Amino acid sequence: MTSLRTLGSVAGAAAVVGGLVLVATPATAADTATVSIIHGVPNTPVDVYVNGEELLPDFQPGTLTDPLQLPAGEYDLAIFPAGADPASTQPVMKADDVTLPAGADATVVAHLTAEGTPVLTPFVNDLSPVPAGQARVSVRHVAAAPPVDVRADGTPVAQGLTNADEATLNVPAGSISADVVLAGSDTVVIGPADLTLAEGTSSVVYAWGSEEAGYDLAVQSFSGMHSMPAGVPGGSAGLAGGSSLSLVTAFSAAGLALAGAGAFRLARSRG
Amino acid sequence: MRPAAASAVLGLALAVGAPTVWALTRPEAAAGIPVEQALPAPAASSGASPLPALPAPTTRSSRPTEVRPAPAPARISVPALGVAAPVDAVGIADDGQMELPEDVSRVGWYRFGPEPGAGGSAVLAGHVDDREQGPGALLPLRDAAVGDEVTVTDVAGTVTRWRVVSRELITKQVLPVERIFARDGAPRLTLITCGGPFLPEYRSYRDNVVVVAEPAP
Repeated sequence: MTSLRTLGSVAGAAAVVGGLVLVATPATAADTATVSIIHGVPNTPVDVYVNGEELLPDFQPGTLTDPLQLPAGEYDLAIFPAGADPASTQPVMKADDVTLPAGADATVVAHLTAEGTPVLTPFVNDLSPVPAGQARVSVRHVAAAPPVDVRADGTPVAQGLTNADEATLNVPAGSISADVVLAGSDTVVIGPADLTLAEGTSSVVYAWGSEEAGYDLAVQSFSGMHSMPAGVPGGSAGLAGGSSLSLVTAFSAAGLALAGAGAFRLARSRG
Repeated sequence: MRPAAASAVLGLALAVGAPTVWALTRPEAAAGIPVEQALPAPAASSGASPLPALPAPTTRSSRPTEVRPAPAPARISVPALGVAAPVDAVGIADDGQMELPEDVSRVGWYRFGPEPGAGGSAVLAGHVDDREQGPGALLPLRDAAVGDEVTVTDVAGTVTRWRVVSRELITKQVLPVERIFARDGAPRLTLITCGGPFLPEYRSYRDNVVVVAEPAP
């Protein structure tokens, strides 16, 4: 899974990325990968092409796809300005030989580098189980901005995050007020925004945009990673169940004592 | 008959009779179908359906959305057992077990699972007793019978009605938590307290009393 991450940012039209081992041609869900695409390049509606075929026309900034099940394997991704003819137009962003291993869950982010160049960056989504009572939150810096700190209720949870990097942590489930500041400062770049971090889910929070177009937060949610409570406690006095047995034992013992005393007196009166 | 003989006979009768009566009158450890059968089965993993070469994607806004929680349950009652208790939303204790209200006259609802009536198993649980406070609100659960009606009222005043289909005494170590805390499948109401033998050395009961109810027709 992490190998996908090493593909890193694929900048510019000419970039070609070395792929990993090609996975055999799949036919069923067992051999599929899950991919979402999120658009974080301001003011640029695009068409998304996969292996030369149009997957998604007129994809708008500030939107994302629901997870797509794709056969595991290698894919060439190309992003063109919306409505452009791919035969005669240079793609805005392009990534060749992106490997999607079977079982992987990834999000491909169309975004700006710190300097403002459009790129595609694949991130692997951590969908491992979340401890009961907690929520996972990943923060990904995909904005044309210097390193930032991400704060939850004023407390930094990710510090010095650079463009195309991410931080992941588990936190108690609940609502937080999140904002993004320039690293090491109190200069708020984005937010604050109220985020609901539901128990057993993963929220991936993207800081995206540019100084000219404005910055914003985008959120991608994953559910179904919850864990169960270890058990149910309850009761410390022994009033239920157990006590009735000791009461029975006491009655029975008293009966035996009474019988013994009676028999003893009976024997003595006869002797 | 002389008093000595009478006391010998009475004593023997008591010595034999007390355990016999106890054995005959104690509640059955289980009633109805097994708990695991009454609870929704875990969702099957995604099917192995053939995939189209390129699926048609759907898109949505990536803006943070506000999640409006469903109304939490506020009261539970089981008229046949004389149970009527307020309900508190609870989560996870430090030891990883379900948290329960300290006050044994109150019942906890596992707020990370479904609310009663939603898909899956809504769990309401309470302490059976406490050394200082005495018997808990759910102590009578051990006598629950198939068909007993349970009503749950939420904070908005909406009532859901349920009928008991299963009661079982389950050793705590093998409690089927995956089923009991299931978050999908048919709606079920699962009531839990403690029961079985009291283990003084652990200041705890060996078992959980688990009662499963289905929506009343």
